[in-house]
Amino acid sequence: MKKLTLKGVATEAKLLLIGIPLLIWTLIPVYHLFLFSISTKDSATSGHLWPVHPTLQNFEFVLWQKHFYLNYFWIQMWNSVFIAVSVGFLTLLISTFAAFAISRLKVRGGRTVLNLALFTYFIPAAFLAVPMYKTMSQYGLLDNQWALILAMITIASPYSIWVLKQASDKLPLELDEAARMDGATPMQLFWMVYLPLMVPSLVAVGTYSLLLAWNEYLYAFLLLSKENTFTVGVALGNFLSADDSPWELLMTTGLIYALPPAAIYYTFKRYMVSGLTAGAVKS
Amino acid sequence: MAEVAFRDIQKTYGKTKIIHGISFDIAEGEFVVLVGPSGCGKSTLLRMIAGLEEITEGEILIDGRVVNDLEAKDRDIAMVFQSYALYPHMTVRENMAFSLRLRDADPALTQERVNRSAKILNLDQLLDRFPRELSGGQRQRVAMGRAIVRDPKVFLFDEPLSNLDAKLRVAMRAEIKSLHHRLKTTTVYVTHDQIEAMTMADKIVVMHDGVIEQIGTPLDLFDAPANLFVAQFIGSPSMNVIKGQIASSQSGQTVARVAGLDWPITSALNVSAGKEVYYGVRPTDMYLTEPGQGIPAQVVVVEPTGAETELLVKVGDDTLTLVIQGRTHVKPEDTVHLGVKTEKVHLFDATSEKRI
Repeated sequence: MKKLTLKGVATEAKLLLIGIPLLIWTLIPVYHLFLFSISTKDSATSGHLWPVHPTLQNFEFVLWQKHFYLNYFWIQMWNSVFIAVSVGFLTLLISTFAAFAISRLKVRGGRTVLNLALFTYFIPAAFLAVPMYKTMSQYGLLDNQWALILAMITIASPYSIWVLKQASDKLPLELDEAARMDGATPMQLFWMVYLPLMVPSLVAVGTYSLLLAWNEYLYAFLLLSKENTFTVGVALGNFLSADDSPWELLMTTGLIYALPPAAIYYTFKRYMVSGLTAGAVKS
Repeated sequence: MAEVAFRDIQKTYGKTKIIHGISFDIAEGEFVVLVGPSGCGKSTLLRMIAGLEEITEGEILIDGRVVNDLEAKDRDIAMVFQSYALYPHMTVRENMAFSLRLRDADPALTQERVNRSAKILNLDQLLDRFPRELSGGQRQRVAMGRAIVRDPKVFLFDEPLSNLDAKLRVAMRAEIKSLHHRLKTTTVYVTHDQIEAMTMADKIVVMHDGVIEQIGTPLDLFDAPANLFVAQFIGSPSMNVIKGQIASSQSGQTVARVAGLDWPITSALNVSAGKEVYYGVRPTDMYLTEPGQGIPAQVVVVEPTGAETELLVKVGDDTLTLVIQGRTHVKPEDTVHLGVKTEKVHLFDATSEKRI
């Protein structure tokens, strides 16, 4: 057993001093969400730490679309899934090709392209919302989910390209040279050597862009306006448009909406830790 | 198997020229070692054969065909990298079969060739392992296996042993040499280690600052170095070199006079008195002699290695090494007398540094 020293205790205490408030800070809203979702409409705002009569009725209301605000719940859920998966997939496609070209094929001007892409982050996304709205309207894409998908890809790509470029810079260049000597074309190199080694980073970037789209409110609110085209995120906002908002249903929907990202993160957690390149070269 | 020829090869990076017009030929089946200190251009030259580096000027021919504009994959050359460069997501078997898979080779044939190569390199038991599960020496062998599976025209080795420990290096040296003996594939091997060059090569190309200093068999280079650089680079411990002037001794013999001491020269060397020279003698070509006969020296360090003893001695301002067979009772700060095997002395012109 480790010996108890004054210094050790002090360090531990300091960590706890930071850790406990952080934990409370994170957990209270989640608990709040959960508390509302198992409370009846009357008891939801009563101020108790645990409802007098816990109920799953709210979940029934949401899942069976038994409320005015929830008429399109499943369609909106599908919209969210479709948009998030499309954004995740297309961002991956674009940023992987870009990172491969910039980092491995050393395409002329690659760095400039990367810098220009990153430069777009100097302008806050909110500033771009109006021009984006105008652009989409000119393309006739308003109220079309592709408008949101394209907008989200635009926002997610620069960071994704940058992350993938950094990751592929770490792959030893000798691997490409060995593959070239073995007779691989750039495309074969990409599919057979590059992609398999990039899997951890690809999962990380895919998850990032997918969740970015899943959580998006501003652009979704601007570009989509029909109840059957927008996402659950926007629908949640609409709960507050009346004086008498069904808070318990808003919180229940929110809780359900938060489950897929949690599941995705949990599933891919192990991929986020890279270690696949071990043994490639002497380190 | 193929011949490789270099015709006035030059390489420039931006404004810096790193290879200054190199020409030489490699015969079919020959084991050629490019050796030189780091930065001499040997690896660049190798990468130019491989097609991984552009050739600024000149031509490289493989089997009489100019390959300057040929892609690396079309040159039919295999290379073993210093870092092994094994594909980490493939097993040993997949690593070795990769090049054949890219060529759409018949799976049965691929299998047979992988198995045969694995047998030659003692890898049969490791075929289903991943590179991360192998030791350094095993990875090195897989890298070689990947090269020999293809049965290429030329093998290229880029400092393949520098990541291994000393003992393994000696073992792998012998393995590569016996592999070459067996396959007889034309091989170009790059190293900065002159011992590797001496022990493995049919022919050594000594490079320095982007030019060839000398080409020859290991023993040619050892016995008759063309200039001062080769003399000091080849051989371990390296040759003792002292600067002096040709003179006549009291007994009328031609000697090199260094700080008042006369160093003997064989009469076969025809040099005129007064000429400034570098006087070179290998540590093994000196011996201890009786007081009053040789050149007096003071012992600095005594290093017994068992079979022989290395002595570091000081003569005037020069520090010299000599290797004597067996053991000795001399101690540091003793005064000893050095004899020189006159016929083994090398003389170099003091200005051109060329052999006389």
